[in-house]
Amino acid sequence: MSPSPSEAPVLAARDLRVVRGGRSLVHVEHFALAPGDVHVLLGANGAGKSTILKALNGLEPADGVLEFHGSVVGSAAARLALRRATAAVFQRPYLLAANVRDNVASGLRLRGLGRNAARQRALEALRLLGIAQLAGRKPGNLSGGEAQRVSIARALAVDPDVLFLDEPLAALDPPTRRALIIDLLRIFARGEMAVVWVTHDRDEAFAVGDRVSFLEGGRIVQTGVPVDVFAHPATTAFAEFLGLDTYLEGVILRGMDGSTRLRLDCGMEIACGDAPEGPAVACLPPEDVVLFASAPIEHSTSLRNVLPGMVNTISPVGRLLLIAVAAERLEVAALVTRAAADDLGLAVGMPIVAAFKAAAVHPIPRQERRPAMSSSGGGQS
Amino acid sequence: MQIIWNGLVEALRLLFGGDADVYQIALRTLWVSGLALCFAVAAGVPMGSVVALNHFRGRRLVVTIINTGMAAPPVVVGLLVALFLTRNGPLGSFRVLYTTWAMVIAQVVIALPIVMGLSLAALQQLDPGLRQQIVALGASRRQSFILLLREIRVALLATVMAAFGAVISEVGAVIMVGGNIKGQTQVLTGAIVQETRIGRFSVAIALALILMTLAFGANLALTFIQQQGRRQE
Repeated sequence: MSPSPSEAPVLAARDLRVVRGGRSLVHVEHFALAPGDVHVLLGANGAGKSTILKALNGLEPADGVLEFHGSVVGSAAARLALRRATAAVFQRPYLLAANVRDNVASGLRLRGLGRNAARQRALEALRLLGIAQLAGRKPGNLSGGEAQRVSIARALAVDPDVLFLDEPLAALDPPTRRALIIDLLRIFARGEMAVVWVTHDRDEAFAVGDRVSFLEGGRIVQTGVPVDVFAHPATTAFAEFLGLDTYLEGVILRGMDGSTRLRLDCGMEIACGDAPEGPAVACLPPEDVVLFASAPIEHSTSLRNVLPGMVNTISPVGRLLLIAVAAERLEVAALVTRAAADDLGLAVGMPIVAAFKAAAVHPIPRQERRPAMSSSGGGQS
Repeated sequence: MQIIWNGLVEALRLLFGGDADVYQIALRTLWVSGLALCFAVAAGVPMGSVVALNHFRGRRLVVTIINTGMAAPPVVVGLLVALFLTRNGPLGSFRVLYTTWAMVIAQVVIALPIVMGLSLAALQQLDPGLRQQIVALGASRRQSFILLLREIRVALLATVMAAFGAVISEVGAVIMVGGNIKGQTQVLTGAIVQETRIGRFSVAIALALILMTLAFGANLALTFIQQQGRRQE
């Protein structure tokens, strides 16, 4: 669903600032939402995701330029027009004290549609979400998942140009989340609306996003296609957020053969991914680190970095185990399955060899605090 | 004991014997309190909403004044209204002192803070997220206001009941500004006071029974509507 860069954005923001009590809460230098795009705003709690979403939706007064279909949204009337051409779903469903059908019809009624026509459209939206059987129920008789589906049906019923979703799945259990994601992706695949989806869940962002923007301190620090952005985080905060447990500080050096090496502060050198020469922090995804009971034969593998060491700690991470390996002068983390750990007979203190490809080591230049664009995200947002 | 028994018998005779004076007093009471209630609700709910839904400097002071007004003694309200309406007062030119209009004004002043305070409290108890959701649904300011009132309709009916109870049972202010003039400004509470003072307990009991019946009937109707509303939620 990724749009071509030539498509005019449905929604665009330039230098958008939300200031409260003299303090700037968020500052969006540039944002553009293409038709049919699902753009995820990803970040930790307090990063300003929801505030940006509300500023984009006209719910939060903001300085700067906000454009909807090319027209500047400045006046209160323009903000109301924006809200009537869009729809929003929040973490909690916030249903009105009416039955499900009338709840779903409420947005249409506010737009002046007659009662019967609104109810008919509401039923169609309920069918789209597979909950037509709930039409006569009261909000108090719904489960959390059902109530959120009703809230989403209410938003879809108005046929919005842009759908704003503010952590819509955060309060739901995993099976309900999965089922709702599948349904939403089916609906988004029609390309009838653009979506701004706020989440702090990186897996959710990866699953639904055509593009993802990572937020730090109220600013977008990186935008791009999820697969690129997640592989090449622009800041250590983003790398930490993605769960990259190993950080190596040093200086990038280029060899005569064009290969890139990172000379660590401890003096050791490791092969790493491509980067400009100079000071850098490199992160190493733990899932890219492979463990061997003994050193692999050099020509039998493409793993350029081989570090003998010993198991320092073993920590469960969901169904996997995070193994901290203390090598001679540094520590790296590896993520392994419990079956693999059993095969290797892993125990704290036992000798082990950690190995990883040069491409797995992603260097981030140390002047990291200025906003950065991923290589794939420069043109759009 | 005999006095009470005789009073009850006389009361029933007055009630079901078609005593014109008693019915006139009862109707006047309903008219004065009903009209005052309508004015108080029409003005008090929007005013309470403005305070509840907006942030402005001095808001806390305004809320404190409203809450104090809810507990204002009716005789003090009567005194203030009388001072304004007396011939030399700021509103003396309207010449409404010792008329039923003066009694309506006094009861509006008594009911207004109750309606404002209780509707304000009901709106403040709503989740701010619901207000945001209503705005995000595309509601204009007027539509948001109507939807929010619909959300607190059960609490609003309780507000109306409380205000009605306060004005229909009030005696001090209506006597001070109405004068308790028989056939002109006398309402049930004033008449009960007068009949008790002159020792006509049977009439006083009859009037008290009518007053209680009116209060019960009005609250029964409002409670019925309120519970219907709850069932629909």
